[in-house]
Amino acid sequence: MLCHECDLLIQNQVIDEGSKLQCPRCGHVIYKQKHNTIGKSLAFTITALIFFYPAVTESIMSISMGGKSQHQSIIEGAQVLLQEEYYLVAILTFMCSLLVPLLRLLLLFYITFSLSVNLFHKSFFWSFRLYHYIEEWGMLDVYMLGIIVSVVKLSSMAEIQAGFGLWAYAGLLLTYILAANSLNPHEVWDLLLEHKQLGEKQNQTKTNQEAA
Amino acid sequence: MASRETTNNNHYRSGKEAGLVLCIECHTIHQYIPHMAMRCSRCGAQLHQRKPNSLNRTWALLITSIILFIPANMLTIMNVIYFGQDDPSTIIGGVILLIQLGSYSVAFVVFAASILVPLFKMVGILMILLSLKYNINLSDSQRITMFRYIDFIGRWSMLDIFVISILAALVNISGIAVITAGSAATAFGAVVVLTIMAANSFDTRLLWDYKQSTDNFLNSNNEQIK
Repeated sequence: MLCHECDLLIQNQVIDEGSKLQCPRCGHVIYKQKHNTIGKSLAFTITALIFFYPAVTESIMSISMGGKSQHQSIIEGAQVLLQEEYYLVAILTFMCSLLVPLLRLLLLFYITFSLSVNLFHKSFFWSFRLYHYIEEWGMLDVYMLGIIVSVVKLSSMAEIQAGFGLWAYAGLLLTYILAANSLNPHEVWDLLLEHKQLGEKQNQTKTNQEAA
Repeated sequence: MASRETTNNNHYRSGKEAGLVLCIECHTIHQYIPHMAMRCSRCGAQLHQRKPNSLNRTWALLITSIILFIPANMLTIMNVIYFGQDDPSTIIGGVILLIQLGSYSVAFVVFAASILVPLFKMVGILMILLSLKYNINLSDSQRITMFRYIDFIGRWSMLDIFVISILAALVNISGIAVITAGSAATAFGAVVVLTIMAANSFDTRLLWDYKQSTDNFLNSNNEQIK
């Protein structure tokens, strides 16, 4: 075994269920032994996907000021910045608060659902890699803090009311984090390898039979 | 060769020395074949013993982000037009406004996310890079803890960008109050993205390579003295 962070060579060890292996040199957690995580992750992913649509399109909060009121959803936040021609800021907001979380949930759903009904496809490998690659750019939690800060900033200027979108958003945030954290990626990689080897064997027997 | 043997006996041995390469995507170990473009047999990712041009990329991204950090703090990040009056504010201006409103905890969060974190991150990466370049001996556990902290906390500096996008969309009541973004928002967004990319392009394993090479050097010196 090699440590991912300091490249230390470690002898293969048997790890008990529920415990983890830490690098003796740099302290990086190399491996967590957790089984049957795919079903749990799938359940959270589906819940998160259900929350996604209202969280994004319904109004997060509304303000009233001098008799006039205004409400806003997440998707409008990016639109307004586009109209003001702050393209980088608009794209960043759109990407981190919408696109990446949605893409990650869809990829996770695709993989966990197919694995739990024993389907296999070559595209799982790059899907799961992409899922990890974009991990850092999904910033639902930071956006939540952003909502709180804007409420405080506005509290002196206007009256603020929470919308239905906010509750859906909180639910989305919770299930999104749970879906990502409940999954043990090593289990997925091991399953994918098993399926791949099985497929190769079947192909070989097929070609052997045809040759015979 | 003497130095190599001492590492084997007394010191930690890295996968690179053992001629192995780890797939950073799916964590499969492969035998390393030099001078060949390798791909992981399990997941198909490209294999490198160390991230290619890691230090150069990190330097380039870091320097760009340091340059952009200046306009991000000098220019206006948000413009509040309240009953026809313009009130442009910089990042630090927004923090001062929050202190005046009496919400100290939120003021601290914003101050930490938009000034302390990017600053700490840039200084931290700079220190690690300089210590590698000029062989300054920082403690390894300190360096790796610092880097992990930097890596973990970096995304939270996106906070200010989100606050602006929320406020600009929400407060748009013509005649009473309108909030628009300022040009510092673009610069600040670029700083956040660049520092995250800089942290990603840095290969933590280089820290230990350097440590091992100095250890070997010291050991071989000691042996010669004996």
